[in-house]
Amino acid sequence: MYYGRATDQLTQERGECGGVITATLISAIEQNLVDGALLIKQGESIYDGIPFFATTKEEIAEAAGSLHCAPTLSAKVIKNYLGGARDTRVAVTCKPCDARAIVEMGKRNQINMDNVYMVGVNCAGTMPPVPARAMIRQFYDIDPDDVVKEEIAKGKLIVQTKDGEHKEVSIDTLEEEGYGRRKNCQRCEYNIPRMADVACGNWGVIGPDAGKATFVEVLTDKGQKLIDTAKAAGAITLTDAPPEGIALREKLDGIMVKMAHKFMAAQFAKFDGDNKFEKLFAELDRCILCRNCIINCPICYCEECFTKQDFVVKKNDLPPEPMFHLTRLLHIAPSCVDCGQCEDGCPAEIPIATITHMVQTELQKTTGYVPGRSMDDPIPLSEWLEVQE
Amino acid sequence: MSQMEVTPSTEQKWEPRILTFCCNWCSYAGADGAGTSRMQYAPNARIIRVMCSGRMNPVFIIKGFLSGADIVMMLGCHFGDCHYLKGNYACNARMTLLQGYLPAIGINPERLYWDQISASEGIKFKETMNKIVKKAQELGPIANELGVHAHGARQNRKARATVEDIFD
Repeated sequence: MYYGRATDQLTQERGECGGVITATLISAIEQNLVDGALLIKQGESIYDGIPFFATTKEEIAEAAGSLHCAPTLSAKVIKNYLGGARDTRVAVTCKPCDARAIVEMGKRNQINMDNVYMVGVNCAGTMPPVPARAMIRQFYDIDPDDVVKEEIAKGKLIVQTKDGEHKEVSIDTLEEEGYGRRKNCQRCEYNIPRMADVACGNWGVIGPDAGKATFVEVLTDKGQKLIDTAKAAGAITLTDAPPEGIALREKLDGIMVKMAHKFMAAQFAKFDGDNKFEKLFAELDRCILCRNCIINCPICYCEECFTKQDFVVKKNDLPPEPMFHLTRLLHIAPSCVDCGQCEDGCPAEIPIATITHMVQTELQKTTGYVPGRSMDDPIPLSEWLEVQE
Repeated sequence: MSQMEVTPSTEQKWEPRILTFCCNWCSYAGADGAGTSRMQYAPNARIIRVMCSGRMNPVFIIKGFLSGADIVMMLGCHFGDCHYLKGNYACNARMTLLQGYLPAIGINPERLYWDQISASEGIKFKETMNKIVKKAQELGPIANELGVHAHGARQNRKARATVEDIFD
């Protein structure tokens, strides 16, 4: 575990906390370790994140910095637009949910894991773009379009306007009012992407380095290769992290996990108790069968969806038969990584991610399977031969 | 499965309906054995023959509940006896997963029963059937758990719209 920072002055300024990720990606491309990097860059405004495949130094520098109000999942982009990394070597910056989704897709042979270098970034939550605009208008009293930069630090959302004005509001205050992070981010127990190849972030950086360096944890051989390449090229400098820093990072993670459990209990309570089936379908019956949840889900990968068969779900019936949701849940819930893409895409605003995550936590009691934790855990129902014999 | 989908009339007294999937090589022959030996057992079961218990898609079982079955039974061969060598291991794994899935969606997991009955175990078939009917009577109708989505109730409910309505 190290503190890392870029050697290049410009990269240091453009990137956040020392620009170590930007510098690592640039050197990985320059040293021909990867063909390109899958990154998210800012589109029209800070509420708009565009995934793109960067192959040059300038393109990578363009994507430096974080976008908390643009919850884009890059896992399915690798499958849909980069051919599942079969012939392309890709470095990808990922939030923990991205990393977990990539691992799950790797287990299903949708992504070639040998060609994917995951640069994980700590994430304490993202915000839905449209409510975020309303939130900024209401709590910060500024025009949402004037915001040029946002940042989450010490439990506060800090925004910076065109005029250089800084304003901050505590996330707890925002969440009490029903704004703040997405519901699935509130429930998320994975803030440090330990399933990625390298885990980076500003947690645990203390002393004079605070805010100027990035905490780097190398987790796999591929990650070591990535960091070594950057170091050999002279793009980054690493110093050993002090034990107090490591302890602080663990402590912060512990606090976030505890908070996540609290949110989980609160959000699942709505469906608990008697008549659970009816409570679930009171929400699910708003479905208009647009299949956005299936299209967006990183776990769904069948060429021909099972729910399109007539004996499972009758065609042209609205709301769809319960079998539609029950089949979908049965197929994906054991591996749900709670990325929230289904809920984001739902035009009927059904809390699908909450329901799927609830089913996943229940199934975890039976199967013991933790989705997206590591490539070594076999998916439920793929391991029965070994267990029984 | 359409045998299950008979809408119960309100005047009739509720009788448990049990959907039973039997594997062709063991349990179906076992049921046959019970029949040819003229054993008496509860008449509530509708038996569907599948070629192997490993052919069972968990979706069939959920569909069974939504079609009005109060208990769904899955009967297969004993471990090691499978005609296709490993089908019943697959079935066992799927049923274990369903055992966790059913409470998550609000169906009592006791409504799913799976067991292994060989071709010679006509007596075990009879005993199992009587035991399950008794259990179904204790658990009550599935409509209590599914509410408006129970088989008969859902059909009577007015659909919001069909795609034909919108485009006609």
